[in-house]
Amino acid sequence: MRSVRQRPGRFLATLLSAFLGAAIIMTFNSMHDTAGEPGVDAVSSETLGTAAGVVGGYGTLLVFFAVASTLTVNVRQRAAELELLRCAGATPAQLKRMVVGEAVVVALVGAALAIVPAMLGGRLLLEVFQDSGQVAESVDHSFGVIALMSGIHVTLLASAGAAFLALRRVRRGRQRHGRARSFLAWGALAAGAVAACSTFAFSATDGALMAPPAYGAILLSVGLALMAPRLLKGVLGRLAPGGASGWLAVRNLRRRAGELAGILMSLILFTAVSTATLTMQAVESDAVAASGQVKSVDAKNLETLNFTVVGIIVVFVCVMLVNSLYAATTYRAREFGQQRLAGATPGQVLGVVGAEGLVLTVVGLLFGTLAALAGIVPFTLVRGDAVLPEQMAGVWAAVASIGAAATLGTSLATARRVLRTPAVRAVAATA
Amino acid sequence: MFRNGARPDHATGPAAEALRLVKVTKSYGTADSAVTALDGVTLGLAQGTFTAVMGPSGSGKSTLLQCAAGLDRPDSGIVRVDGTELTGGGEAELTKFRRGRIGFVFQQYNLLETLTVAQNTVLPLKLAGRRVDRRRAREILTAVGLGDRLGHRPDQLSGGQRQRVAIARALVTEPRVIFADEPTGALDTRSAREVLTLLQQAVRVHGRTVVMVTHDPVAASYADSVLFLADGRLAGRLDAPTADAVAERLAHLGDSVTAGV
Repeated sequence: MRSVRQRPGRFLATLLSAFLGAAIIMTFNSMHDTAGEPGVDAVSSETLGTAAGVVGGYGTLLVFFAVASTLTVNVRQRAAELELLRCAGATPAQLKRMVVGEAVVVALVGAALAIVPAMLGGRLLLEVFQDSGQVAESVDHSFGVIALMSGIHVTLLASAGAAFLALRRVRRGRQRHGRARSFLAWGALAAGAVAACSTFAFSATDGALMAPPAYGAILLSVGLALMAPRLLKGVLGRLAPGGASGWLAVRNLRRRAGELAGILMSLILFTAVSTATLTMQAVESDAVAASGQVKSVDAKNLETLNFTVVGIIVVFVCVMLVNSLYAATTYRAREFGQQRLAGATPGQVLGVVGAEGLVLTVVGLLFGTLAALAGIVPFTLVRGDAVLPEQMAGVWAAVASIGAAATLGTSLATARRVLRTPAVRAVAATA
Repeated sequence: MFRNGARPDHATGPAAEALRLVKVTKSYGTADSAVTALDGVTLGLAQGTFTAVMGPSGSGKSTLLQCAAGLDRPDSGIVRVDGTELTGGGEAELTKFRRGRIGFVFQQYNLLETLTVAQNTVLPLKLAGRRVDRRRAREILTAVGLGDRLGHRPDQLSGGQRQRVAIARALVTEPRVIFADEPTGALDTRSAREVLTLLQQAVRVHGRTVVMVTHDPVAASYADSVLFLADGRLAGRLDAPTADAVAERLAHLGDSVTAGV
């Protein structure tokens, strides 16, 4: 508890993900509350229920991943402190209690902070549903027990579980990534390929047409993300850029491929999921519009859900990406100091960081796009006649620029800040 | 009838100074809590000399080295390396000034973990955009006894070996002055002896100028002369030092502060 008070800054990222997670979960679960009010008609109730169910599930998963990622970074940064405590006589159980306890406290604060925004968000969400005619105008928003309890419970459980996992991961170090990981990766790739191919079994007007390619793209991106370190190494083997900064960047990346895998993973997932979902939705909407039909309530629900899910994923992945990049870059203060003492100007150090960020971005976008295409192409072949939908270009450009801005922006801004410490002190600080 | 108008090159002149400090002052902190680390230090070191700087903790040794090496800027005073004055400017300018003029050897080696021995050695050349002469780098690494370890990474080497890589890296740019900050501080006595001998060779064989900060009288005895520092001021000088004489002098440094300057 005291350690939280001493360094509130360190827990900011965790707090932010807990807060966002709790807010989203509460917002959507308040739809359950709203649906449960007396006098709500069946169609409205169903819309509200689906929205709450789907996004609630997604939200739980994302909170878990985001909190786990920020906490892993946090625990790793504090490895020295934890080691000190261990030497001072703290048992592993005590350390566990401390870290998990801290996570729970942060989660509680995050959930408490999220209540008011979630009430407002729930009202807004209901208005969106009402404007699109999915929910009757007469329904009033209600923020009740389900929203509150589920929000707090999910956030707490996810945080505690994530803290547990983070501690284990840090203590174990990197031992058992090997076989289980590549098995999972190949499994995800195979399942993704099957899902994407099964798109062809559907007819153009099937309501569920969008599901297989979307799952395919997601599974493929998970598979590629799991293989991220190997992919990165493969690409780096072929790179031979000129200039001292580029030379150093490639060597750094080759050595740190394992550590950077997390960042690459977020990038691949982000690119694949958002590009695939948004493109398919755009194709679907255009196809419906072209045929002159009016969308059914179900289709509209699906559209709203797609947009919200992608929105949530974008926000979370951005938080994760920014947090882990920030931590990874801050952690390198000493290395930057050494480069400067060896005769690198601050500009050259920034050049190294920039080059590394660029390689990461390009590799992440490349494989993310491949996974997305694997889902999009079958979908458009069945739904329309084109192989590549023209809608993809705009979506992809937006996704790519967000990804690139987050990656390059965070690492360069952090490196700039780190470089403000004089080189001699930066080297001495952790020596 | 015609006299050769060219005067002897400054750098090769007999009394050429590799390093000159004039009334260098540096203090840390602000107003009330300001600590004067260097208090008007003036000194000159001839080229091709090996000088040790000694003094108790907090005497300003490290500050002296950092100001002289262009890692830090003094509050007032002049620093001249190889006849060129170190003027103000951003870190980038200081870095460019240091390249080619100054080499470093640190207590903590400061090798980059991601690079091999050979890559670490040529890094300063790469960063300065100079031609990388791999054969020369290998020669230097062989000279420091690491010819068979070119592809190793720093974490596969012992402390003494790492420090020898650092010395090779400092030599490869052929700098005028090599600054060594407690180069043997983290080493066992045998490795320390090897490292000190290499620094000596850098002076004797390669004609470099070495300035070494240390608190170890044995290390200081490898130098041609020892400068003593106390409370930010020069407190005496000892030529052709022996470890015992240095230790003796160091023990009485407190008494001699007033008399020494």
